[in-house]
Amino acid sequence: MLFELDSDQQLWRTTIRDVLAKECPPALVRSVADQGADPGPLWRTFAGLGWTELTETAEAVELAILLEELGRATDPTPYLATMTWFTPLAPGVLSDGQTGTAVLEGVTAHRDPHGDEGWILDGTGHHVLDGDRADWFAVVTDAGVFTVPATEATVHRENVFDPLLHVADVSFWQVRVGEESRTRADVGLARDIALTGLALTMVGACRRVLDLTLDHVRTREQFGVPIGSFQAVKHKAVDMHVAIERATALAYFAALTIAEQDPRRATAAAMAKAAAGECTTVVFENGFQLFGGMGFTWENDLQFALKRALSGELLLGGADVHRARVTDALLDARAAAPAAGTTSEERHAAAV
Amino acid sequence: MQLRFDDDVEAFRAEFVAFLDANLPGVEETTERPTSTAHMPAWARRWQRLQFDNGWLLPGNPPEYGGRNATLLQQFVHLEELGKRHIYHSFNPQGLGIIAASLLTFGTEEQKRRWAVPILKAEITAALGMSEPGAGSDLAGLRTRAVLDGDHFVVNGQKIWTSGAHDADILLTFVRTDPDAPKHRGISVLVIPTDLPGITRRPFGSIIGADDLDFNEVFFDDVRVPAENLIGQLNKGWHVANGSLGHERTMLWLGFADRLDELVADVRPATPLERDRYATLAMDAQALRLLGSAALARAARGEEDVASISVLKLFGSEAVRTASRHALLAQGSAGLARDGHSRPFEHMNLDWFFASWFDRYAHSFSGTIAGGTSEIQRTIVAERVLGLPRV
Ligand SMILES: Cc1cc2nc3c(=O)[nH]c(=O)nc-3n(C[C@H](O)[C@H](O)[C@H](O)COP(=O)(O)OP(=O)(O)OC[C@H]3O[C@@H](n4cnc5c(N)ncnc54)[C@H](O)[C@@H]3O)c2cc1C
Repeated sequence: MLFELDSDQQLWRTTIRDVLAKECPPALVRSVADQGADPGPLWRTFAGLGWTELTETAEAVELAILLEELGRATDPTPYLATMTWFTPLAPGVLSDGQTGTAVLEGVTAHRDPHGDEGWILDGTGHHVLDGDRADWFAVVTDAGVFTVPATEATVHRENVFDPLLHVADVSFWQVRVGEESRTRADVGLARDIALTGLALTMVGACRRVLDLTLDHVRTREQFGVPIGSFQAVKHKAVDMHVAIERATALAYFAALTIAEQDPRRATAAAMAKAAAGECTTVVFENGFQLFGGMGFTWENDLQFALKRALSGELLLGGADVHRARVTDALLDARAAAPAAGTTSEERHAAAV
Repeated sequence: MQLRFDDDVEAFRAEFVAFLDANLPGVEETTERPTSTAHMPAWARRWQRLQFDNGWLLPGNPPEYGGRNATLLQQFVHLEELGKRHIYHSFNPQGLGIIAASLLTFGTEEQKRRWAVPILKAEITAALGMSEPGAGSDLAGLRTRAVLDGDHFVVNGQKIWTSGAHDADILLTFVRTDPDAPKHRGISVLVIPTDLPGITRRPFGSIIGADDLDFNEVFFDDVRVPAENLIGQLNKGWHVANGSLGHERTMLWLGFADRLDELVADVRPATPLERDRYATLAMDAQALRLLGSAALARAARGEEDVASISVLKLFGSEAVRTASRHALLAQGSAGLARDGHSRPFEHMNLDWFFASWFDRYAHSFSGTIAGGTSEIQRTIVAERVLGLPRV
């Protein structure tokens, strides 16, 4: 395996960084949080750059690079939900510049007793990412996935701790939809793309926390020296770095299994999400701690990255949930294929 | 990014696999087990010699040094294949990986012929004399003195931890040749044959048991070492030290990855907590291989990336330690057993890899202590990767 970005991929990352430095600087993010500035123009910039066209699974690594950078910039647009929640469930539905998200739970579908071949959707999905600002919903039900325009639903944005995050309750009251709105999407694949996307976002946000923390400990002086020269501070920073490296590797591996249709995909995605959560714990606590009182303030931009990472841990199942999935999958595989070599007392005896 | 290696690398792997299938010693040949890191039973010597002769010992080397001028990625799949088949690379690991490698880098042609080739051919074994009672993490503080007297150095002092010294034919010894120079600039390196008069080697037990003898104290009492045994230049030993530890470092993490994979295979989680820890183990194993592969890909492109090796060592060794602790704790009181084994016997592997759970846990600390402790690695990463101030 060659697990390193090739030169095209490196160039792609540099391009993204340049664009985001110009189009999505910290001042813009701050204005969205404090003044309620509209991220719409930024979204249209992304669409204009063709970023919303990265929908083929073969391009999963390129999408991964973009998502990590967007996490790092604490992107205020609905890019993540559109690209990793909606599109994998409903490819080809969105037209230029439209946004979407997925209602993963809480809604049921019944055959319409009056209209032939029609369905009735009923129920509420809670904590739907960007549920209040999506143009389309992909609604996952036991009867399949339905694509529904947002105008059919009643949405209510929740007040959450992250001022940049949009989360909403999305309700369908006896909404009639036609059979043609039912998609044949691969829900398992869509779930893994969503998990991987969220993991990459979290990893990017964690990297931003580390960048800010390193800047801070290099410049902040106490006892006459930069606090970054204290070993206790250094070692905390290194633990952040190692956790980020680990989570990044697992997230990109998940993206690679998506791109290459590798059978390890589901486990890889669970590992990615779990590792991103573990990394978030280390980075949130050490980053916040090393800023001292400054980390406790609203003025400090650190909050945006901290909250982006932590909210990711709270969405789509936390690290513990995904670790349980990892173990289930591995032990199932082991049960299916018992190890070739079994313990043999005689061989030990022969050797001693 | 790709999941598979290119065809030429896979073809190389296939060729090596064919060699292993045709030549690997059978179980019955390996009844005499190695007892220290410089003790090689006759079968282990024969096996290493066979690999040397066929260019499979260190494929990256030229043929005269046991290789076939293989690329870095080919060298990697060679080690990967050994790991997969539970074949220990050399039963004198420091001889092969550090001492012969240093001699090939810093030695004269004559020195390579006299010592490096015999080590590679397993005709002699070697031990590494760096640490001293007063110089561990602060290796440059070493005090064993060597004074030039005509065409000999006269060596006085003490080494400690010298793994396998009691079974070794030579010691690669770091000595102080200029006590007045700044501490990094007064160190030199000597090859010291262990049969010279004035050398006392005292093996001592490890935490595993009083009879587990690999550690040594080595005392030098007016030992006269021919001046031609100086490796590299006088007072440039620090350079050799960095080189020695640098050797094989690009792939040092593979040992940790192999230990993690063994744990993934051996651990049978029962309780919810054990299942949770099992996932962490599997993720660590996967992540270490991924990070190692990334470092390898960078190295194959010719990028110098010494510091990421510290990240791999730190992460890998601590992951093995954590998982080994969890594996032991999961045993409950059955984990108290001193003898017994925790995985199937593998005749080409080190015995402690399948020894009791306590042994495996205790041994995991060799990863976090030897070759630069985890604390030292963290400081290196902070300063060289994260750019934090030294002060
Ligand atoms: C299994 C094993 C095999 C070995 N084989 C060999 C061998 O063949 N040849 C050889 O020469 N040596 C060998 N060693 C020795 C090894 O290199 C040393 O043990 C190691 O360098 C640490 O030195 P020390 O034991 O003196 O510990 P110390 O340096 O005294 O360290 C003790 C503790 O203090 C911490 N510490 C020290 N300095 C700092 C610092 N600046 N900042 C923060 N923390 C610090 C350390 O991290 C450690 O936790 C071996 C060791 C082991 C465990």
